[in-house]
Amino acid sequence: MKKGRLVLMVIAMLAIGIIGISKETLVVYTYNSFVSWGPAGELKEAFEARYDCNLEFVTAGGGKATLSRLLAEREAGGTDADLFMAEVNDVPRIATYDLFLPVTVEDVPNLAHIPQELLLDQTAGLVPYEHGYITLTYDSQILSEEDLPKTLEGLTDPRYKGMLVCEDPRTSSTGFSFLLWTIAHFGEEGYLDFWRSIDPTLLTITQGWSEAWTLLTHGEAPIAVSFSTDTAYGAMYEDSLRYRAFAPGGEGYRTVYGVGIVRETDHTELAKAFIDLLLSKEIQELLPRTEIMFPANETAELPEEYQEHAIIPSDPLMLPLEIVGTRMDSWLYDWARVITTR
Amino acid sequence: MRKGWFVLLAIPAGFLALVFYYPLGLILRTGLSEGGRLTLAPLQEILADSYYLHLIVFTIEQAALSTLASLAIGLPGAYLLTRYTFPGKETIRSLTVVPFVLPAITVALGFILFFGNSGHLNRFLMSIFHLARPPVRLLYSLRGIVLAHAFYNAPIVTRMVNAVWEGLDPAIDEASISLGAGRLRRFLGITLPRLAPALLSSAALVFIFTFLSFPIVLSLGGARYATIEVEIYTLTRTLLDYRLGSALILVETFLSLGFTYLYLRTEGRFASTTRGDREIPTQPLLRGPLTIGKWLLLVYSFLAAIFFLGPIVSILADSLRAGGGWTFSNYCELLSLSYSPFLGSSPLHTVLNSFLIAGISTLIALPVGTAVAWFAVRSRLPGRRIIESILMAPLAVSSVAIGFAVLRGLSGSPLHLGGTLLAIALAHGILTYPFVVRSLRPVLEGLDVGLIEAARSLGASRVRAFFEVEFPLIRRGLLVAAVFAIALSMGEMSATIMLMRPGLSTIPVAVYGLLSARQFGAASAMAVVLIAVTAFSFLAIDLLGGREGKGGLRW
Repeated sequence: MKKGRLVLMVIAMLAIGIIGISKETLVVYTYNSFVSWGPAGELKEAFEARYDCNLEFVTAGGGKATLSRLLAEREAGGTDADLFMAEVNDVPRIATYDLFLPVTVEDVPNLAHIPQELLLDQTAGLVPYEHGYITLTYDSQILSEEDLPKTLEGLTDPRYKGMLVCEDPRTSSTGFSFLLWTIAHFGEEGYLDFWRSIDPTLLTITQGWSEAWTLLTHGEAPIAVSFSTDTAYGAMYEDSLRYRAFAPGGEGYRTVYGVGIVRETDHTELAKAFIDLLLSKEIQELLPRTEIMFPANETAELPEEYQEHAIIPSDPLMLPLEIVGTRMDSWLYDWARVITTR
Repeated sequence: MRKGWFVLLAIPAGFLALVFYYPLGLILRTGLSEGGRLTLAPLQEILADSYYLHLIVFTIEQAALSTLASLAIGLPGAYLLTRYTFPGKETIRSLTVVPFVLPAITVALGFILFFGNSGHLNRFLMSIFHLARPPVRLLYSLRGIVLAHAFYNAPIVTRMVNAVWEGLDPAIDEASISLGAGRLRRFLGITLPRLAPALLSSAALVFIFTFLSFPIVLSLGGARYATIEVEIYTLTRTLLDYRLGSALILVETFLSLGFTYLYLRTEGRFASTTRGDREIPTQPLLRGPLTIGKWLLLVYSFLAAIFFLGPIVSILADSLRAGGGWTFSNYCELLSLSYSPFLGSSPLHTVLNSFLIAGISTLIALPVGTAVAWFAVRSRLPGRRIIESILMAPLAVSSVAIGFAVLRGLSGSPLHLGGTLLAIALAHGILTYPFVVRSLRPVLEGLDVGLIEAARSLGASRVRAFFEVEFPLIRRGLLVAAVFAIALSMGEMSATIMLMRPGLSTIPVAVYGLLSARQFGAASAMAVVLIAVTAFSFLAIDLLGGREGKGGLRW
């Protein structure tokens, strides 16, 4: 009797398993903070309800680390990834490896609501879904507003010794944006000198943004390279303005995040549907509250905390993608050499 | 007769050929070719680049500093254990094995929790001295790496030196006292020269361990303090530069082979230290007049207790904290099946993966290790030393390199194993079987060959003689080896992180992920599972009678 019940249970579990497997599964490779902070849960729920399939988010750390993993898998014979979410400065690398299928407004109707200025990828493989600015964020319990450096150069002042956490530009998109910021600010001839002189200021260089943010919020360091929307985050969730974004000299580096369809996917239609959902007003309005970024869709409304607390740098910087593409490797090469030889 | 050896050797040879030598050959090819031609160009590129030279020098520098720190922290301990008696001395002596068997990533976690700018030590000091800024700044620098290395290598020094020191014949010392030699003169002239072999070989061992250290440098160093191991990881996993990565692996392996050779030379040369007939005299630490020496040792003991207990207690404490209160919730979440972004998997899957990989890799390491140990002890084949070296070669290759080699070697057709659970288990098999060999060898050496010969002369076949006579005699040794292999596999992070595909995680990798994201409660609960498994394993080894010589574990 008991045995019979057991057999039945096993059969039932197998059946559930098979039904689960037989559903199509759409796999999205993304950076870890999209899953830990972002609307991954809401997206999964909404998407699975609408298209009767499984949606899985997979991450290997920061954006660049995940891209490397994806490219290595492709090289080794194939990847499970159907979509990949990337920062726009990864576009040159993505283009080199011919990673994405082109996407048009016929495939993704909501693309019509994305303003021209965000459509930076000329090959149109990367569809922007959010944007913002890389700035610095400080702990106002340790530093007051008057204490802050007025410019990037100011960060090299000895009184900021061991106070800054930044991200490794080789593994983190945020870190790469900060490196580009220093190049845009100091020029190709001057940025390495800046990195040499900022060495005492750096507490550590982390693998990704998540690590840097947690070092800041756990009191390990009072300044971190982060996003201009951080103050608004505190206002919305922590009911505290302790961690505040600031733009030294009114500067900040432009950042745009997008998603693309991996060329080898077997689920092209589902992938397009996913992008359309991600660009829909409903999901876009979640982005400022979860990703703490500006939505790409013009029709999406911003939370009121953004009006008061989100900083828009008066002097946003951005290097042309073609130049980033051609110079990226040698910048990273030189940076790594400067940062390790003290 | 010889045919038998070839059959026996087929097991480890086949396994090593597939999972070690073939993948390593691929690396050699990638690192030594350009456009299909054999060339030294990638090697030259590395050795001509000041960046890589700096990296190599820094790796050696941090290993040397770590060795010095381990000696400085470990030697007073050896002195204390040799010359003094105090309550709990034997317990302390057995506990000196604990830091070494702790997985390196848990040491990194403990250090961040205890010595971090906002760690327990700083918070305590800030609250009693009313300081605004953290006074102890150790982490995120070379100091942090060196101290973390000392944490788990100083006890090796203590153990190895203490074992030799206790065996020194006190008669020579007493003779020099009667000749009027002073304390310092006696130490420098008589004790130190006789301790030198133990000092040298423990220092060499610590140097090799720290030269190849990966998890500690990766999690405490940041981008500025990269060693060769970390750079190989960055080159191959992030920058996808397999050519330079492979060349760097060759450079690293060459260096580590050199260091290992030097170590074996010193170990062989000084191995026989004459043992005295009498025990070295000891005095009670806590009773009798309080001399300056005793006072210094008490201060040392106090500082050592903080240094070694602080990180471990911090992990235990943090694993019981969540949301500002004491709770078991971190442990309950280990059983959760829901996806965690920091793991790329669910906690329960992660824990099960670790056990599954440990199980499979042990099933691989046991027969392979037994065959190799058997061969090393029993074979009289010509050239057996060379064959033995070939069979033990994985010891000289770093875990990161083995992980990368297995990834490259098993990814392609027809296996397509790259990054799967089985590939990780195979890599762990490569990493753990040398330790199976090391723990089985003394057992096999101590076996009475006459018993087997008797069985053979009574007509038992070689196979039957093994299973009916030898196997029951070495069963305990096998059990010890198995427990050892399981513990090593459970704590292995370097090869795993090189191999694993997203969505697959093991406990040490999860600890690293959670640690990076500063999810301390969850990281600590995971780490406690690891600590518990390793502690239990080594307790089991102790109980199973792994302590042939003094001290249980042989290095």
